[in-house]
Amino acid sequence: MKLKRRDFMKVISVAGVGAGLLPKDYLFSSPTLSVPNGMKGKWMSTVCQGCTTWCPAQAYVINGRVIKVRGNPHSKANHGKVCPKAHLAIQQMYDPDRIKVPLKRTNPKKGRNEDPKFIPISWDEAINTIADKMLELRKREVPERFAVLRGRYSYMRDVLYGAVPKILGSPNGISHSAICAEAEKFASFYTEGYWDYNDYDLEHTKYVLSWGADPLSSNRMIPHAISIWGKVRDQAKIAVVDPRLSSTAAKADHWLPIVPGQDGALALAIAYTILTEGLWSKEFVGVFKDGKNLFVKDREIDETQFEEKHTHGVIKWWNLDLKNKTPEWAEKKCGISADLIKKIAIDFALAAPRAISWVSPGASMQVRGGYGAMAAHALNGLVGSIDNKGGVVQKKSPPVNKTPKYSKYQDELAKKHSKLKKIDQRGSKAFPAMKKKPGKGVVTNNVADAILESKPYPLEMAIGYWNNFAYSCSGAERWERALTKLPFFVHITTNAAEMTQFADIVLPAAFHMFEKWSFVKQKQNLHGYAGITQKIVEPFWDVKMDETEIPYMIAKKLADKGFSNLLDYYKNEFKDPETNKVPETEKEFALSALKFYTHPLWNGSAASKGDKITSWKEFQKLGVWNTKRYTYKTKWDHFKTETKKFEFYSETLKKNLNLHAEKHSTTVDDILKTCKYTSFGELAFIPHYEEPYRWGDEKEFPLIFSEHRSRLNREGRSQNTSWYYAHKNCDPGDENWDDVIKLHPKTAKVHNLKNGDKVRVTSPTGSLECTLKEWEGIRPGVAIKCFGQGHWAYGSLASANYKKKIPRGGSNNHILPADYERLSGSTARHGGVTRVKIEKIV
Amino acid sequence: MTKYAMIIDLNRCVGCGGCDIACKSENNVPDNFHWADHEVETYGKFPDVKYRHIPKLCNHCDNAPCVRVCPTKAMHKKDDGITMHDPKKCIGCKSCVLACPYEAVMYNDKVPFKQWNNKSELIKGGTASPKELKDKSKVPFPNYNPERSLTSMGVREKGVVEKCTFCDHRVGQNKLPFCVESCPASARIFGDIKDVTSQVSKLKGKYELKVRKLEKGTRPNVFYIREYYRV
Repeated sequence: MKLKRRDFMKVISVAGVGAGLLPKDYLFSSPTLSVPNGMKGKWMSTVCQGCTTWCPAQAYVINGRVIKVRGNPHSKANHGKVCPKAHLAIQQMYDPDRIKVPLKRTNPKKGRNEDPKFIPISWDEAINTIADKMLELRKREVPERFAVLRGRYSYMRDVLYGAVPKILGSPNGISHSAICAEAEKFASFYTEGYWDYNDYDLEHTKYVLSWGADPLSSNRMIPHAISIWGKVRDQAKIAVVDPRLSSTAAKADHWLPIVPGQDGALALAIAYTILTEGLWSKEFVGVFKDGKNLFVKDREIDETQFEEKHTHGVIKWWNLDLKNKTPEWAEKKCGISADLIKKIAIDFALAAPRAISWVSPGASMQVRGGYGAMAAHALNGLVGSIDNKGGVVQKKSPPVNKTPKYSKYQDELAKKHSKLKKIDQRGSKAFPAMKKKPGKGVVTNNVADAILESKPYPLEMAIGYWNNFAYSCSGAERWERALTKLPFFVHITTNAAEMTQFADIVLPAAFHMFEKWSFVKQKQNLHGYAGITQKIVEPFWDVKMDETEIPYMIAKKLADKGFSNLLDYYKNEFKDPETNKVPETEKEFALSALKFYTHPLWNGSAASKGDKITSWKEFQKLGVWNTKRYTYKTKWDHFKTETKKFEFYSETLKKNLNLHAEKHSTTVDDILKTCKYTSFGELAFIPHYEEPYRWGDEKEFPLIFSEHRSRLNREGRSQNTSWYYAHKNCDPGDENWDDVIKLHPKTAKVHNLKNGDKVRVTSPTGSLECTLKEWEGIRPGVAIKCFGQGHWAYGSLASANYKKKIPRGGSNNHILPADYERLSGSTARHGGVTRVKIEKIV
Repeated sequence: MTKYAMIIDLNRCVGCGGCDIACKSENNVPDNFHWADHEVETYGKFPDVKYRHIPKLCNHCDNAPCVRVCPTKAMHKKDDGITMHDPKKCIGCKSCVLACPYEAVMYNDKVPFKQWNNKSELIKGGTASPKELKDKSKVPFPNYNPERSLTSMGVREKGVVEKCTFCDHRVGQNKLPFCVESCPASARIFGDIKDVTSQVSKLKGKYELKVRKLEKGTRPNVFYIREYYRV
């Protein structure tokens, strides 16, 4: 390829210095500057929750103000590094548009075009109103009509999201998890019995095959990935499957610009090639008894001829589906040449077991994405890289205290009603939402429809915290209608978000990173860890902590009114483990609850599993407790699947699908049909090909829509910071201070569009407006846009006009339909789930 | 004699912009320009497309055109090689802005951080105004870094220029420039290029060095090694 190089850099030759000299870190002569006392700062430990990497971080504090941030040097997970998102947290905390006092709505009419006419009220009035509403539901013996809608969270979450509904008498603690990436967990659960996100041994890997994963920009180990990518490039090959040249694809050996949603075809052809070329792991998968490779195109194999070792069903998988999934077949589906597919497959397998097949939301959150994601994850099984050095591993968890049981504090009403069906319709025929068992997963986005349909019952009151479903859920307009219908809504939030516009009471939240006590658990670099967010500065405003202080205040008010169960629970179960003191105020409670949960980490008892920390004071200073490094191969033959093996033929999935079918007195085939899948019979239990489901007719909506994340997105919450827009072109293809939809120049030409055009993007369910960008790094025929902008509320910068509710850019959730990968309950927003048309706005 | 230099390893750089943003927080740089910045370039035709992100900053040139043209010596070379600017001597003639081939000198054509004097509230009585927040914080803006004022103005004024100083206020405290400390990829290496044992010297011996716009004869002290994309 010929590169057109601008006159940017020219080489100068510089004579080398003598070799053999010891390297020396930068070192200066003695310091020449001293810092006056009033200017002296201190680095204090906390955690960044801008994305779910949840990095141990530190903030530099001078005179009660946060000046700058860095990674926590005590963290073994991120090596003391943070990605660019962490810096934006400063502007998020010092956002003048933050809500500074509790507010109440004075306009009873709700709707996007209604001004809520918020007026400031006292905390006492706000909490009093909330407590009255809660008790009224209990008095009418319908406490299930209350819900807590959780968005982002810390592991203090159960104090609010668990205890409040359960002790009041509602089953409805509803998490945001299904708008996150439950379909990705589907892939690992139904192969290796692990319902969680995997970790990846980048330090030792020799091949990274990414399925839409863009770890240099987004979830779930960004600073570790960034810090080690230079080493990975030196020692490994990298291939990135993505219709867009992502930041990771730009740093890879191969960019595989796939047709969105066709990941399954590519993964199956890679599996086919690995088997037919005889490159599967003999150690992990097994061997043919007579030593001859019987994986030959179109030829079925007698299962008895293969001696399978740590896996289950490889021959079944071959016979049922793989035997004709050739690269030539896949090329027509996925748009990647057969030759390149073969090369990727062979190189990947030759690098194994130090080879990573990295499944992401991009390759799984499709209506029919579950099986393709399984296929991509199963490649790790084929080459034996699961739970192996340089491969794909599970997690190590920090040993923290469990949330104390609620049952002692539930009266008869609460016991009975908290067992009712949850509002999100999980477990219904159309929503198997099979977490570890059918109906155990959450279907977050369906709550809007459940509210609108009053099914399984009407919802009358909800408390939402750290969430913004009217912005962050696909089919966002349904949430606007649902929240209009919801009689009483309390929003705990830092900013007047979209969801806030429908609130009756608004409670200002402390900013997690610098104003709040909490802890999180995560993993990177084969270390699990627990990090604490700390109240390291005194907030400028009258804000409270969402997960501890506010529920305590509610509990106190409920007790004043004669219902003391919640307060009893908080006081009895969350005593300060150092002093055994009962928390008497919300401030004391916030800290004592955190100390309660994390006690095993800092009383020295967890030393055998990781760091030895012997006092709360020391833990506060360090801010993080690290597990020991992950040990390989401990899961082999102990996977939490039905067979204890890595399952290519998933007995685990078979069991759950049958359970769900029996519950609804029907067949597995009928369930799959209801869930919009197209293959039946035995194919239901193996990774197999499914044509991607797309909304919209190709004639009317000629382009496939695809979206991606920004390396500056703090989920949807950094769009009121100027640094976000001033550096937006750090996302390849994007522009500073703009929101662009990217098209390949040839595609743009076909549709009479050009760079800089203001355009309307329309799907079958909605439209948005933004700017057109022609860019070579986009697959022709696909329209790609970053998620994150298009707020019509949230702040004066996030929106183009807050008062008039005019968005800045366009929100993808206005063109993405509300659809699901129903087996997992996951929202389906990737893999080209909708088609769009793009028109120039004249 | 010490001479500071920076090497940027493009193989390690992932184009995240962490350096650019960290610099903002360290040096109180307004939104409308960047001391630490980058250029992006896309080459080739689909599907053989290459992309690169090149961080850029003041090159602290040995033969600095900005210093040569400055009529008041506001722009000057320090003994340690840093190209320094004294805003008190600056008359805002912008000769340096025009002379610099790297667009690394920026002119304040408006009062920096003026937006913090805005008194409007999003929700009356419910949210703050920028002015209210500024007044509460008792500094020019809430995350203002006073350490920047150790060697220069904490916030520069309308009518003067400003640019990267290699974080001279940190280097003087035996600390690395904040972009170097903040780079999650460890792609920025800083040190004394005259000291043969320093990391920069070591890398200088190991890799081919590249500079921006060699033909301008400015003799930059910010060097680039390796390539952003796979060659």
